[in-house]
Amino acid sequence: MNPDCKRIRQDILKISNVSGHGHVPSCFSVIEILYALYHTINHDPKKPSWSRRDIFVLSKGHASLGLYCVLAHFGYFDIKNVYSFGSFTSDFGCHMDRIKIPGIEASTGSLGHGIAIAVGMALGLKIKKEDSRRVYTLIGDGEANEGSVWEAIMVATNLGLNNLTIIYDNNLSHSRGLQIQNPAQRLGAFGCEAVEVDGHDISQLKKEILVVSSKPRAIIAHTKKGFGSRSLISNHYEWHRKSPTSEELKKLLRELDEETV
Amino acid sequence: MRKQFRETIMDLSNNDERIVLLFGDVSVYLFDEFKKKYPNRFYNIGICENTLISVGAGLSSQGFYPFIHTITPFITERSFEQVKLDLCYNQFGANIVSCGASFDYAWDGATHHCYTDLAILRLLPDIEIIQPGSTKELDILLRSQYNNGRTTYFRLSDYPHKIDMPVEFGKGAILKNTNSKLTVVTAGPILANVLEACKDLDINLVYFHTIKPIDKELICRFKDSEIVVIHDAFGLYEAICEVPHLNISYYGIPDEFCSCYGNVHDVRKKIGLDSVSIREKLKNKIKKYSKA
Repeated sequence: MNPDCKRIRQDILKISNVSGHGHVPSCFSVIEILYALYHTINHDPKKPSWSRRDIFVLSKGHASLGLYCVLAHFGYFDIKNVYSFGSFTSDFGCHMDRIKIPGIEASTGSLGHGIAIAVGMALGLKIKKEDSRRVYTLIGDGEANEGSVWEAIMVATNLGLNNLTIIYDNNLSHSRGLQIQNPAQRLGAFGCEAVEVDGHDISQLKKEILVVSSKPRAIIAHTKKGFGSRSLISNHYEWHRKSPTSEELKKLLRELDEETV
Repeated sequence: MRKQFRETIMDLSNNDERIVLLFGDVSVYLFDEFKKKYPNRFYNIGICENTLISVGAGLSSQGFYPFIHTITPFITERSFEQVKLDLCYNQFGANIVSCGASFDYAWDGATHHCYTDLAILRLLPDIEIIQPGSTKELDILLRSQYNNGRTTYFRLSDYPHKIDMPVEFGKGAILKNTNSKLTVVTAGPILANVLEACKDLDINLVYFHTIKPIDKELICRFKDSEIVVIHDAFGLYEAICEVPHLNISYYGIPDEFCSCYGNVHDVRKKIGLDSVSIREKLKNKIKKYSKA
Protein backbone atom coordinates (compact mmCIF):
# COMPACT_ATOMS: atom_id res chain seq x y z
CA MET A 1 0.00 0.00 0.00
CA ASN A 2 1.15 3.49 -0.82
CA PRO A 3 2.43 5.06 2.46
CA ASP A 4 0.31 8.22 1.99
CA CYS A 5 -2.81 6.11 1.46
CA LYS A 6 -1.98 4.17 4.59
CA ARG A 7 -1.66 7.39 6.60
CA ILE A 8 -4.97 8.62 5.17
CA ARG A 9 -6.63 5.37 6.26
CA GLN A 10 -5.07 5.75 9.72
CA ASP A 11 -6.60 9.23 9.92
CA ILE A 12 -10.00 7.86 8.91
CA LEU A 13 -9.89 5.19 11.59
CA LYS A 14 -8.78 7.58 14.32
CA ILE A 15 -11.38 10.20 13.42
CA SER A 16 -14.10 7.57 13.23
CA ASN A 17 -13.05 6.31 16.66
CA VAL A 18 -13.10 9.78 18.19
CA SER A 19 -16.30 10.97 16.52
CA GLY A 20 -18.37 7.80 16.52
CA HIS A 21 -19.19 8.40 12.86
CA GLY A 22 -18.01 7.39 9.43
CA HIS A 23 -18.65 4.85 6.72
CA VAL A 24 -15.18 3.40 7.10
CA PRO A 25 -15.27 0.49 4.59
CA SER A 26 -16.86 2.77 1.94
CA CYS A 27 -14.08 5.27 2.51
CA PHE A 28 -11.35 2.64 2.38
CA SER A 29 -12.46 1.44 -1.05
CA VAL A 30 -11.95 4.88 -2.66
CA ILE A 31 -8.72 6.19 -1.10
CA GLU A 32 -6.42 5.25 -4.00
CA ILE A 33 -9.00 6.68 -6.44
CA LEU A 34 -9.15 10.02 -4.62
CA TYR A 35 -5.39 10.09 -4.09
CA ALA A 36 -4.69 9.42 -7.78
CA LEU A 37 -7.30 11.98 -8.78
CA TYR A 38 -5.89 14.85 -6.73
CA HIS A 39 -2.38 13.95 -7.89
CA THR A 40 -3.52 14.23 -11.50
CA ILE A 41 -6.19 16.88 -11.98
CA ASN A 42 -5.63 20.63 -12.11
CA HIS A 43 -6.38 22.11 -8.71
CA ASP A 44 -4.88 24.47 -6.17
CA PRO A 45 -5.53 23.79 -2.47
CA LYS A 46 -4.66 27.40 -1.70
CA LYS A 47 -7.21 28.64 -4.24
CA PRO A 48 -10.11 26.18 -4.14
CA SER A 49 -12.14 28.42 -6.48
CA TRP A 50 -9.32 28.79 -9.02
CA SER A 51 -11.08 29.48 -12.33
CA ARG A 52 -9.03 26.95 -14.31
CA ARG A 53 -9.41 24.05 -11.92
CA ASP A 54 -10.86 20.69 -12.83
CA ILE A 55 -13.99 19.81 -10.90
CA PHE A 56 -14.58 16.74 -8.75
CA VAL A 57 -17.98 15.75 -7.35
CA LEU A 58 -18.16 12.93 -4.82
CA SER A 59 -21.56 11.52 -5.71
CA LYS A 60 -21.33 8.74 -3.11
CA GLY A 61 -21.41 11.39 -0.43
CA HIS A 62 -21.22 8.98 2.49
CA ALA A 63 -17.49 8.58 1.77
CA SER A 64 -17.08 12.16 2.97
CA LEU A 65 -14.59 11.27 5.70
CA GLY A 66 -12.35 9.71 3.07
CA LEU A 67 -12.50 12.84 0.93
CA TYR A 68 -11.88 15.14 3.91
CA CYS A 69 -8.77 13.18 4.83
CA VAL A 70 -7.51 13.22 1.25
CA LEU A 71 -8.18 16.97 0.92
CA ALA A 72 -6.36 17.54 4.22
CA HIS A 73 -3.43 15.50 2.90
CA PHE A 74 -3.27 17.75 -0.15
CA GLY A 75 -3.36 20.90 2.00
CA TYR A 76 -6.93 22.18 1.74
CA PHE A 77 -7.20 22.35 5.53
CA ASP A 78 -5.61 20.93 8.67
CA ILE A 79 -6.50 17.33 9.46
CA LYS A 80 -6.96 18.40 13.10
CA ASN A 81 -10.14 20.21 12.10
CA VAL A 82 -11.64 16.99 10.76
CA TYR A 83 -11.57 15.42 14.21
CA SER A 84 -14.78 17.31 14.97
CA PHE A 85 -16.41 15.18 12.25
CA GLY A 86 -20.18 14.96 12.63
CA SER A 87 -20.37 17.05 15.80
CA PHE A 88 -22.91 19.82 16.26
CA THR A 89 -20.48 22.70 15.84
CA SER A 90 -18.34 21.07 13.13
CA ASP A 91 -18.19 22.15 9.49
CA PHE A 92 -17.22 18.58 8.65
CA GLY A 93 -20.53 16.75 8.45
CA CYS A 94 -21.07 13.10 7.72
CA HIS A 95 -22.20 14.37 4.33
CA MET A 96 -20.41 17.36 2.87
CA ASP A 97 -21.60 20.95 2.71
CA ARG A 98 -20.02 22.79 -0.19
CA ILE A 99 -20.70 26.14 1.47
CA LYS A 100 -18.59 25.19 4.48
CA ILE A 101 -15.67 23.12 3.19
CA PRO A 102 -13.06 24.38 0.72
CA GLY A 103 -12.63 22.05 -2.23
CA ILE A 104 -16.14 20.60 -2.06
CA GLU A 105 -17.93 21.38 -5.32
CA ALA A 106 -21.38 19.99 -4.46
CA SER A 107 -23.21 19.00 -1.30
CA THR A 108 -24.18 15.37 -1.75
CA GLY A 109 -25.59 12.61 0.39
CA SER A 110 -28.80 11.42 -1.20
CA LEU A 111 -27.52 8.96 -3.79
CA GLY A 112 -27.91 9.58 -7.51
CA HIS A 113 -27.68 13.38 -7.35
CA GLY A 114 -24.00 14.26 -7.63
CA ILE A 115 -23.44 12.60 -10.98
CA ALA A 116 -26.33 14.54 -12.53
CA ILE A 117 -25.05 17.83 -11.12
CA ALA A 118 -21.65 16.91 -12.59
CA VAL A 119 -23.31 16.47 -15.99
CA GLY A 120 -24.65 20.02 -15.73
CA MET A 121 -21.21 21.28 -14.73
CA ALA A 122 -19.63 19.57 -17.75
CA LEU A 123 -22.29 21.08 -20.01
CA GLY A 124 -21.57 24.48 -18.50
CA LEU A 125 -17.85 24.17 -19.27
CA LYS A 126 -18.73 23.17 -22.85
CA ILE A 127 -20.98 26.21 -23.33
CA LYS A 128 -18.25 28.47 -21.93
CA LYS A 129 -15.74 26.75 -24.24
CA GLU A 130 -13.43 26.10 -21.30
CA ASP A 131 -12.01 23.09 -23.06
CA SER A 132 -8.96 22.69 -20.84
CA ARG A 133 -11.13 21.93 -17.82
CA ARG A 134 -12.69 18.59 -16.96
CA VAL A 135 -15.35 17.25 -14.58
CA TYR A 136 -14.90 14.05 -12.58
CA THR A 137 -17.47 12.31 -10.47
CA LEU A 138 -17.21 9.22 -8.29
CA ILE A 139 -20.25 7.02 -7.93
CA GLY A 140 -20.73 3.80 -5.97
CA ASP A 141 -22.02 0.53 -7.31
CA GLY A 142 -24.82 0.61 -4.73
CA GLU A 143 -25.61 4.15 -5.81
CA ALA A 144 -26.00 2.87 -9.36
CA ASN A 145 -29.23 1.23 -8.21
CA GLU A 146 -30.74 4.70 -8.51
CA GLY A 147 -32.45 5.37 -11.84
CA SER A 148 -31.26 8.97 -11.79
CA VAL A 149 -27.68 7.70 -12.27
CA TRP A 150 -28.63 6.17 -15.58
CA GLU A 151 -30.72 9.17 -16.63
CA ALA A 152 -27.66 11.32 -16.05
CA ILE A 153 -25.39 8.99 -18.02
CA MET A 154 -27.84 8.94 -20.95
CA VAL A 155 -27.97 12.71 -20.99
CA ALA A 156 -24.17 13.01 -20.78
CA THR A 157 -23.64 10.69 -23.72
CA ASN A 158 -26.45 12.25 -25.74
CA LEU A 159 -24.89 15.69 -25.25
CA GLY A 160 -21.45 14.33 -26.15
CA LEU A 161 -19.88 15.49 -22.89
CA ASN A 162 -16.41 14.13 -23.48
CA ASN A 163 -15.14 16.44 -20.73
CA LEU A 164 -16.76 14.18 -18.14
CA THR A 165 -15.20 11.18 -16.42
CA ILE A 166 -17.36 8.92 -14.28
CA ILE A 167 -15.42 6.77 -11.84
CA TYR A 168 -17.43 3.76 -10.73
CA ASP A 169 -16.36 2.34 -7.38
CA ASN A 170 -17.18 -1.30 -7.94
CA ASN A 171 -16.64 -2.49 -4.37
CA LEU A 172 -19.46 -5.04 -4.64
CA SER A 173 -21.18 -3.37 -1.74
CA HIS A 174 -24.57 -4.49 -2.79
CA SER A 175 -24.03 -8.18 -3.34
CA ARG A 176 -26.85 -8.88 -0.88
CA GLY A 177 -29.24 -6.69 -2.87
CA LEU A 178 -29.30 -5.31 -6.40
CA GLN A 179 -25.69 -5.88 -7.43
CA ILE A 180 -24.92 -4.72 -10.95
CA GLN A 181 -22.84 -7.56 -12.34
CA ASN A 182 -21.54 -6.04 -15.55
CA PRO A 183 -20.99 -2.30 -15.05
CA ALA A 184 -18.51 -1.93 -17.90
CA GLN A 185 -20.90 -3.42 -20.43
CA ARG A 186 -23.78 -1.36 -19.11
CA LEU A 187 -21.87 1.92 -19.11
CA GLY A 188 -20.57 1.09 -22.58
CA ALA A 189 -24.07 0.31 -23.77
CA PHE A 190 -25.22 3.68 -22.43
CA GLY A 191 -22.64 5.37 -24.65
CA CYS A 192 -19.60 5.83 -22.43
CA GLU A 193 -16.08 4.78 -23.28
CA ALA A 194 -15.72 2.29 -20.45
CA VAL A 195 -12.47 0.90 -19.12
CA GLU A 196 -11.75 -1.31 -16.14
CA VAL A 197 -8.88 -0.88 -13.69
CA ASP A 198 -7.68 -2.15 -10.36
CA GLY A 199 -9.10 0.58 -8.14
CA HIS A 200 -6.24 0.26 -5.69
CA ASP A 201 -3.52 0.62 -8.35
CA ILE A 202 -2.57 4.29 -8.31
CA SER A 203 -0.53 4.22 -11.51
CA GLN A 204 -3.36 2.58 -13.48
CA LEU A 205 -5.81 5.09 -12.09
CA LYS A 206 -3.60 8.09 -12.89
CA LYS A 207 -3.15 6.89 -16.46
CA GLU A 208 -6.88 6.49 -17.05
CA ILE A 209 -7.79 9.75 -15.33
CA LEU A 210 -5.74 11.61 -17.95
CA VAL A 211 -7.30 9.94 -20.99
CA VAL A 212 -9.61 12.03 -23.13
CA SER A 213 -11.83 10.52 -25.79
CA SER A 214 -14.74 11.52 -27.98
CA LYS A 215 -17.28 10.26 -25.42
CA PRO A 216 -17.84 10.58 -21.70
CA ARG A 217 -15.41 8.24 -19.99
CA ALA A 218 -16.30 5.64 -17.42
CA ILE A 219 -13.54 4.14 -15.30
CA ILE A 220 -14.79 1.03 -13.57
CA ALA A 221 -12.55 0.79 -10.55
CA HIS A 222 -12.64 -2.71 -9.09
CA THR A 223 -12.11 -2.20 -5.39
CA LYS A 224 -12.47 -3.96 -2.07
CA LYS A 225 -14.79 -2.45 0.48
CA GLY A 226 -12.58 -1.98 3.52
CA PHE A 227 -9.32 -2.32 1.55
CA GLY A 228 -6.37 -2.33 3.96
CA SER A 229 -8.07 -4.19 6.78
CA ARG A 230 -8.80 -7.89 6.89
CA SER A 231 -11.60 -7.36 9.41
CA LEU A 232 -13.34 -4.66 7.39
CA ILE A 233 -13.15 -6.62 4.14
CA SER A 234 -14.45 -9.82 5.64
CA ASN A 235 -17.31 -8.16 7.51
CA HIS A 236 -18.08 -4.96 5.64
CA TYR A 237 -21.84 -5.12 6.16
CA GLU A 238 -21.42 -5.00 9.94
CA TRP A 239 -18.85 -2.21 9.63
CA HIS A 240 -20.76 -0.15 7.03
CA ARG A 241 -22.00 2.40 9.55
CA LYS A 242 -19.95 1.40 12.59
CA SER A 243 -17.09 3.21 14.27
CA PRO A 244 -14.27 1.36 15.97
CA THR A 245 -13.97 1.30 19.73
CA SER A 246 -10.51 2.06 21.07
CA GLU A 247 -9.74 -1.66 21.26
CA GLU A 248 -10.99 -2.22 17.73
CA LEU A 249 -9.00 0.80 16.57
CA LYS A 250 -5.76 -0.79 17.77
CA LYS A 251 -6.62 -3.97 15.92
CA LEU A 252 -7.56 -2.17 12.68
CA LEU A 253 -4.43 -0.02 12.80
CA ARG A 254 -2.38 -3.16 13.31
CA GLU A 255 -4.04 -4.77 10.32
CA LEU A 256 -3.22 -1.70 8.25
CA ASP A 257 0.43 -2.01 9.28
CA GLU A 258 0.43 -5.66 8.38
CA GLU A 259 -1.20 -4.87 5.03
CA THR A 260 -2.87 -8.24 5.10
CA VAL A 261 -5.40 -7.38 2.46
CA MET B 1 -48.91 32.37 -21.30
CA ARG B 2 -46.22 30.16 -22.81
CA LYS B 3 -46.01 32.58 -25.73
CA GLN B 4 -45.32 35.37 -23.25
CA PHE B 5 -42.67 33.15 -21.66
CA ARG B 6 -41.04 32.89 -25.09
CA GLU B 7 -41.33 36.63 -25.79
CA THR B 8 -39.80 37.60 -22.46
CA ILE B 9 -36.98 35.07 -22.80
CA MET B 10 -36.21 36.20 -26.35
CA ASP B 11 -36.03 39.78 -25.19
CA LEU B 12 -33.89 39.07 -22.13
CA SER B 13 -31.54 36.89 -24.15
CA ASN B 14 -30.62 39.81 -26.38
CA ASN B 15 -28.59 41.16 -23.50
CA ASP B 16 -27.88 38.13 -21.36
CA GLU B 17 -25.69 35.30 -22.59
CA ARG B 18 -26.08 33.44 -19.34
CA ILE B 19 -29.65 32.29 -20.05
CA VAL B 20 -29.75 28.58 -20.87
CA LEU B 21 -32.97 26.65 -21.59
CA LEU B 22 -33.36 23.05 -20.42
CA PHE B 23 -36.60 21.54 -21.70
CA GLY B 24 -38.25 18.23 -20.93
CA ASP B 25 -39.65 17.70 -24.41
CA VAL B 26 -42.39 20.32 -24.20
CA SER B 27 -42.60 23.75 -25.88
CA VAL B 28 -39.67 22.80 -28.10
CA TYR B 29 -41.33 23.94 -31.32
CA LEU B 30 -42.48 27.14 -29.63
CA PHE B 31 -38.85 28.06 -28.91
CA ASP B 32 -37.61 27.29 -32.41
CA GLU B 33 -36.42 30.85 -32.91
CA PHE B 34 -34.40 30.78 -29.68
CA LYS B 35 -32.88 27.46 -30.67
CA LYS B 36 -31.82 28.81 -34.07
CA LYS B 37 -30.44 32.02 -32.61
CA TYR B 38 -28.67 30.45 -29.62
CA PRO B 39 -28.04 26.79 -30.49
CA ASN B 40 -25.56 26.26 -27.67
CA ARG B 41 -27.98 27.54 -25.07
CA PHE B 42 -31.03 25.44 -25.86
CA TYR B 43 -31.23 21.81 -24.77
CA ASN B 44 -34.21 19.52 -25.09
CA ILE B 45 -32.65 17.28 -22.46
CA GLY B 46 -35.24 14.53 -22.59
CA ILE B 47 -38.09 13.09 -20.57
CA CYS B 48 -36.03 12.82 -17.39
CA GLU B 49 -37.22 15.47 -14.97
CA ASN B 50 -34.89 14.55 -12.12
CA THR B 51 -31.89 15.04 -14.36
CA LEU B 52 -33.34 18.26 -15.79
CA ILE B 53 -33.22 19.81 -12.32
CA SER B 54 -29.76 18.46 -11.49
CA VAL B 55 -28.28 19.59 -14.80
CA GLY B 56 -29.77 23.01 -14.09
CA ALA B 57 -27.95 22.97 -10.75
CA GLY B 58 -24.67 22.13 -12.49
CA LEU B 59 -25.15 24.93 -15.01
CA SER B 60 -25.96 27.35 -12.21
CA SER B 61 -22.67 26.42 -10.54
CA GLN B 62 -20.94 27.56 -13.72
CA GLY B 63 -22.56 30.99 -13.68
CA PHE B 64 -25.58 30.42 -15.92
CA TYR B 65 -29.25 31.27 -15.36
CA PRO B 66 -31.03 28.04 -16.29
CA PHE B 67 -34.70 27.87 -17.20
CA ILE B 68 -35.95 24.35 -16.55
CA HIS B 69 -39.26 23.80 -18.27
CA THR B 70 -41.71 20.95 -18.52
CA ILE B 71 -45.10 19.73 -17.30
CA THR B 72 -46.05 20.64 -13.72
CA PRO B 73 -46.50 17.33 -11.87
CA PHE B 74 -43.33 15.83 -13.30
CA ILE B 75 -41.00 18.73 -12.60
CA THR B 76 -42.36 19.37 -9.10
CA GLU B 77 -43.78 16.23 -7.50
CA ARG B 78 -41.44 13.79 -9.24
CA SER B 79 -38.33 15.96 -8.90
CA PHE B 80 -38.99 17.33 -5.43
CA GLU B 81 -35.79 15.97 -3.90
CA GLN B 82 -33.67 17.35 -6.75
CA VAL B 83 -35.23 20.78 -6.23
CA LYS B 84 -34.70 20.52 -2.49
CA LEU B 85 -31.07 19.37 -2.56
CA ASP B 86 -29.48 20.22 -5.89
CA LEU B 87 -30.98 23.69 -6.22
CA CYS B 88 -32.03 24.93 -2.78
CA TYR B 89 -29.60 23.24 -0.38
CA ASN B 90 -26.64 23.64 -2.72
CA GLN B 91 -27.62 27.26 -3.41
CA PHE B 92 -27.40 26.61 -7.13
CA GLY B 93 -30.24 28.94 -8.09
CA ALA B 94 -32.32 28.20 -11.18
CA ASN B 95 -35.69 29.04 -12.69
CA ILE B 96 -38.28 26.30 -12.85
CA VAL B 97 -41.09 27.10 -15.28
CA SER B 98 -43.98 24.67 -15.35
CA CYS B 99 -46.96 24.34 -17.65
CA GLY B 100 -50.21 22.41 -17.30
CA ALA B 101 -50.78 23.14 -13.61
CA SER B 102 -54.00 22.39 -11.73
CA PHE B 103 -56.45 21.21 -14.39
CA ASP B 104 -55.01 22.88 -17.50
CA TYR B 105 -54.58 19.40 -18.96
CA ALA B 106 -57.90 18.18 -17.60
CA TRP B 107 -58.42 15.81 -20.51
CA ASP B 108 -55.30 13.86 -19.57
CA GLY B 109 -56.79 12.82 -16.25
CA ALA B 110 -55.47 12.61 -12.73
CA THR B 111 -51.94 11.61 -13.78
CA HIS B 112 -51.55 15.06 -15.32
CA HIS B 113 -53.51 17.12 -12.80
CA CYS B 114 -51.26 18.97 -10.36
CA TYR B 115 -52.48 21.05 -7.43
CA THR B 116 -49.77 20.29 -4.85
CA ASP B 117 -46.80 22.02 -6.55
CA LEU B 118 -47.15 25.37 -4.81
CA ALA B 119 -47.77 23.74 -1.45
CA ILE B 120 -44.81 21.38 -1.48
CA LEU B 121 -42.28 23.73 -3.04
CA ARG B 122 -43.07 26.57 -0.63
CA LEU B 123 -41.93 24.31 2.20
CA LEU B 124 -38.36 24.46 0.92
CA PRO B 125 -35.93 27.08 2.22
CA ASP B 126 -34.37 29.48 -0.30
CA ILE B 127 -37.06 29.32 -2.95
CA GLU B 128 -39.43 31.87 -4.45
CA ILE B 129 -42.87 30.72 -5.57
CA ILE B 130 -44.75 32.64 -8.23
CA GLN B 131 -48.12 31.88 -9.78
CA PRO B 132 -48.60 34.51 -12.48
CA GLY B 133 -52.27 34.95 -13.29
CA SER B 134 -51.79 37.04 -16.41
CA THR B 135 -49.21 37.44 -19.15
CA LYS B 136 -48.33 40.85 -17.75
CA GLU B 137 -47.61 39.34 -14.35
CA LEU B 138 -45.39 36.69 -15.92
CA ASP B 139 -43.45 39.23 -17.95
CA ILE B 140 -42.79 41.58 -15.03
CA LEU B 141 -42.02 38.90 -12.45
CA LEU B 142 -39.79 36.83 -14.72
CA ARG B 143 -37.73 39.90 -15.59
CA SER B 144 -37.38 40.92 -11.96
CA GLN B 145 -36.45 37.51 -10.52
CA TYR B 146 -34.69 35.31 -13.07
CA ASN B 147 -31.11 36.36 -12.33
CA ASN B 148 -31.12 36.91 -8.58
CA GLY B 149 -29.18 33.71 -7.86
CA ARG B 150 -32.09 32.08 -6.07
CA THR B 151 -34.37 29.27 -7.16
CA THR B 152 -37.64 30.65 -8.46
CA TYR B 153 -40.68 28.62 -9.44
CA PHE B 154 -42.97 30.07 -12.11
CA ARG B 155 -46.27 28.24 -12.58
CA LEU B 156 -47.59 29.07 -16.05
CA SER B 157 -51.21 28.68 -17.11
CA ASP B 158 -52.89 28.20 -20.46
CA TYR B 159 -55.91 30.14 -19.15
CA PRO B 160 -54.61 33.48 -17.86
CA HIS B 161 -56.93 36.17 -16.58
CA LYS B 162 -56.94 39.55 -18.27
CA ILE B 163 -57.35 41.75 -15.21
CA ASP B 164 -54.86 44.57 -15.14
CA MET B 165 -53.21 45.73 -11.94
CA PRO B 166 -49.83 47.00 -10.74
CA VAL B 167 -47.38 44.10 -10.37
CA GLU B 168 -44.44 43.89 -8.00
CA PHE B 169 -42.70 40.77 -6.68
CA GLY B 170 -43.77 39.90 -3.16
CA LYS B 171 -46.69 42.33 -3.17
CA GLY B 172 -50.36 41.34 -3.19
CA ALA B 173 -53.11 43.57 -4.55
CA ILE B 174 -56.44 44.74 -3.16
CA LEU B 175 -58.97 44.46 -5.96
CA LYS B 176 -62.02 45.27 -3.83
CA ASN B 177 -62.23 46.84 -0.39
CA THR B 178 -65.72 47.52 0.91
CA ASN B 179 -64.68 47.26 4.56
CA SER B 180 -66.67 44.05 4.55
CA LYS B 181 -66.46 41.54 7.38
CA LEU B 182 -65.70 38.92 4.72
CA THR B 183 -62.47 38.90 2.69
CA VAL B 184 -61.83 36.60 -0.22
CA VAL B 185 -58.19 35.80 -1.00
CA THR B 186 -57.14 34.19 -4.25
CA ALA B 187 -54.19 33.74 -6.61
CA GLY B 188 -53.46 33.07 -10.25
CA PRO B 189 -55.84 32.61 -13.17
CA ILE B 190 -58.83 31.55 -11.05
CA LEU B 191 -59.10 35.26 -10.21
CA ALA B 192 -61.31 35.66 -13.29
CA ASN B 193 -63.95 33.36 -11.79
CA VAL B 194 -63.61 34.79 -8.30
CA LEU B 195 -63.92 38.39 -9.45
CA GLU B 196 -66.96 37.55 -11.57
CA ALA B 197 -68.52 35.76 -8.60
CA CYS B 198 -68.18 38.58 -6.12
CA LYS B 199 -68.14 41.71 -8.24
CA ASP B 200 -71.38 43.13 -6.81
CA LEU B 201 -71.21 41.49 -3.39
CA ASP B 202 -70.16 43.26 -0.22
CA ILE B 203 -66.87 41.38 -0.03
CA ASN B 204 -63.22 42.43 0.06
CA LEU B 205 -61.06 40.78 -2.59
CA VAL B 206 -57.29 40.35 -2.21
CA TYR B 207 -55.06 38.80 -4.87
CA PHE B 208 -51.56 37.30 -4.84
CA HIS B 209 -49.21 36.26 -7.63
CA THR B 210 -46.30 35.71 -5.23
CA ILE B 211 -46.99 32.79 -2.92
CA LYS B 212 -43.53 32.88 -1.30
CA PRO B 213 -42.65 35.22 0.20
CA ILE B 214 -46.27 35.99 1.00
CA ASP B 215 -47.25 39.62 1.56
CA LYS B 216 -48.03 39.35 5.29
CA GLU B 217 -48.43 43.09 5.68
CA LEU B 218 -51.32 43.07 3.25
CA ILE B 219 -53.00 40.10 4.96
CA CYS B 220 -52.72 41.83 8.31
CA ARG B 221 -54.85 44.67 7.00
CA PHE B 222 -57.75 42.21 6.76
CA LYS B 223 -57.05 40.15 9.89
CA ASP B 224 -60.18 41.35 11.64
CA SER B 225 -62.42 40.03 8.88
CA GLU B 226 -63.31 36.43 8.11
CA ILE B 227 -61.00 35.23 5.36
CA VAL B 228 -61.96 32.69 2.73
CA VAL B 229 -59.15 31.46 0.51
CA ILE B 230 -60.51 30.41 -2.88
CA HIS B 231 -57.87 28.68 -4.96
CA ASP B 232 -57.61 25.87 -7.50
CA ALA B 233 -54.50 24.51 -5.77
CA PHE B 234 -53.00 24.01 -2.34
CA GLY B 235 -50.32 26.34 -1.05
CA LEU B 236 -51.91 29.76 -0.97
CA TYR B 237 -54.05 28.92 2.07
CA GLU B 238 -51.02 27.55 3.89
CA ALA B 239 -49.03 30.67 3.01
CA ILE B 240 -51.78 32.99 4.29
CA CYS B 241 -51.82 30.98 7.52
CA GLU B 242 -48.28 32.21 8.21
CA VAL B 243 -50.12 35.15 9.75
CA PRO B 244 -51.33 33.84 13.12
CA HIS B 245 -54.77 34.01 14.66
CA LEU B 246 -56.77 34.47 11.48
CA ASN B 247 -60.40 33.45 11.13
CA ILE B 248 -59.72 31.60 7.90
CA SER B 249 -61.08 28.74 5.78
CA TYR B 250 -60.23 27.16 2.43
CA TYR B 251 -62.50 26.56 -0.52
CA GLY B 252 -61.01 24.73 -3.46
CA ILE B 253 -59.50 21.32 -4.09
CA PRO B 254 -61.45 18.43 -2.54
CA ASP B 255 -59.74 15.56 -0.70
CA GLU B 256 -60.18 13.16 -3.58
CA PHE B 257 -58.75 12.60 -7.06
CA CYS B 258 -60.65 14.40 -9.79
CA SER B 259 -61.07 11.26 -11.83
CA CYS B 260 -62.63 12.93 -14.81
CA TYR B 261 -61.58 14.41 -18.13
CA GLY B 262 -62.95 17.26 -20.28
CA ASN B 263 -61.43 20.72 -20.02
CA VAL B 264 -60.42 23.01 -17.17
CA HIS B 265 -63.87 24.58 -17.07
CA ASP B 266 -65.53 21.17 -16.71
CA VAL B 267 -63.33 20.29 -13.75
CA ARG B 268 -63.72 23.68 -12.10
CA LYS B 269 -67.51 23.26 -12.35
CA LYS B 270 -67.32 19.74 -10.92
CA ILE B 271 -65.40 20.90 -7.84
CA GLY B 272 -67.32 24.14 -7.41
CA LEU B 273 -64.76 26.59 -8.71
CA ASP B 274 -66.83 27.99 -11.56
CA SER B 275 -68.06 31.54 -10.96
CA VAL B 276 -71.66 30.45 -10.30
CA SER B 277 -70.67 27.96 -7.60
CA ILE B 278 -68.22 30.39 -6.02
CA ARG B 279 -70.93 33.05 -5.96
CA GLU B 280 -73.36 30.70 -4.21
CA LYS B 281 -70.72 29.83 -1.65
CA LEU B 282 -69.98 33.50 -0.95
CA LYS B 283 -73.63 34.55 -0.82
CA ASN B 284 -74.17 31.96 1.90
CA LYS B 285 -71.10 33.21 3.71
CA ILE B 286 -72.16 36.85 3.78
CA LYS B 287 -75.71 36.08 4.89
CA LYS B 288 -74.70 35.97 8.54
CA TYR B 289 -73.08 39.38 8.27
CA SER B 290 -76.13 40.87 6.51
CA LYS B 291 -78.41 39.60 9.33
CA ALA B 292 -76.08 41.07 11.93
